Amino acid sequence: MLEIEKLSYAYPDGHIAIREIDLKINDGESVALVGANGAGKSSLFKLIIGISQIKEGSIKIGDLSVEKKTLKDVRKKVGMVFQNPDDQLFMTKVYDDIAFGPRNELLSDEEVEERVNNALEMLGVTHLRDRMPHRLSGGEKRVIAIASVLSMNPQIILFDEPTSFLDPSARRNVINTLEKLEMTKIIATHDLDMALDICDRVIILHHGSVFADGKTDDILLNEELLLGCHLELPFCMQKRKVRKQDSDK
Amino acid sequence: MANISDSMNTINSLEEMAEGKTIIHQLHPMVKLVITLLYIVLVVSFDPYNITGLVVLAFYPVILMALAEIPYKPLLTRMLVALPFSFFAGISNIIFNQKLALMIGGIPITYGVISFFSITIKTVFTVMAVLILIATTSLPQISYQLLSIKVPKLIVEQIMLTYRYISVLLEQVSNMYTAYMLRSPGGKGIKMKDMGIFVGQLLLKSFDRAENIYYAMKCRGYDGHYLYAKPDPIKSADWIFLLGTAFLLIMMRFFDLSQIIGSFL
Repeated sequence: MLEIEKLSYAYPDGHIAIREIDLKINDGESVALVGANGAGKSSLFKLIIGISQIKEGSIKIGDLSVEKKTLKDVRKKVGMVFQNPDDQLFMTKVYDDIAFGPRNELLSDEEVEERVNNALEMLGVTHLRDRMPHRLSGGEKRVIAIASVLSMNPQIILFDEPTSFLDPSARRNVINTLEKLEMTKIIATHDLDMALDICDRVIILHHGSVFADGKTDDILLNEELLLGCHLELPFCMQKRKVRKQDSDK
Repeated sequence: MANISDSMNTINSLEEMAEGKTIIHQLHPMVKLVITLLYIVLVVSFDPYNITGLVVLAFYPVILMALAEIPYKPLLTRMLVALPFSFFAGISNIIFNQKLALMIGGIPITYGVISFFSITIKTVFTVMAVLILIATTSLPQISYQLLSIKVPKLIVEQIMLTYRYISVLLEQVSNMYTAYMLRSPGGKGIKMKDMGIFVGQLLLKSFDRAENIYYAMKCRGYDGHYLYAKPDPIKSADWIFLLGTAFLLIMMRFFDLSQIIGSFL
């Protein structure tokens, strides 16, 4: 379980990114974290994974409190898929990129191999094993970035805009991939249609605070609520709304 | 743009070469590191006017490249990058050291010219030795060995991350250059008045990218120790290679083998 209590965070220039957030995310939940640009989604992720240091409040992963001395253990439990897969893939072979985390855990060669193969098989991309990451398509890179985190067997995965910059087919492939994952998923996204597809719960961040938190349908179908924090209905709902208005006329 | 793309491919090709299975690839990384360091020290310490003695040391890169089955072209291309530095370092010797050393076919050769060639040859040899090391040993293994001979972690991390970030920088240059050229039709490269801003922006953007890559590495357990690259213990074959090569290199350094061989002819 991920437990956040009274978490606040300000950048060194004084800009407040997170204001007194309280959250509980249960094991196996699939949560969409939505909000306008600058709402605090990436800042929250950085705090959870320990890239930014917590100054006020606390974050707990199960019994483990996120602190400087526990970061190594925290990062074994929580993985993060970055928005730009090029930031995540830096080795010469896909295999080595996926093996990077397990090798840092000092696993034996056999265990590393097993982890890599499992991750590739789970995502159905075994054929990319010996390819060079920089030669892959955007969608393939995104899936390999997910595999590079999966190979660490995390309990929670944070996804930062997993469907951005992708063509429709690659986007659908990534969504299908996310659907397959059984661990806790927290997905920061502007893709509300995807959230509607695969998340059971939606949290709206607005100016660093939790603006709304509830079941996906309750949140994403509430136009008034969404407009109040610079969001709008998912495209599929907008279409339905237009059709309904046309038929009413 | 093709040049930037070529550079990125060359960087990657060196790392791919390190995955080879030849006798040199299978040597213990510490042995390769020690021999490379010894070779560099011996080459650099050579008398600046003894070119014939120095040239004999070419045997090391040539034989290693053959044994490691490393293609010559990519290595020579990368080595060319270092030559302008040695050129500018050596050119002052030609200007300031005009003392006559010998005459060849009526053409006076000064000590300055000899030391210029000496510096160039030394640069070629030392850079080749380092490139061969990179082409036969993976970067994590080199890092682990550098740490185990007590090179400060900060320096090892700087070297390794700089190497990793070269491709980031090149990609950034490529994107920014394309964007610039598309908005300056008919232009022949970046104008001098824009160069300061271009380089400044490149630096800032590269910092951002580099920071993200570093975070992504940290999130997957990277701590700069490269413990996973710990090799097997040194075997007797490694010792034989180490002692044999070190003996030969030291002989070449302290005895003029070119003269000894010449005396038999």
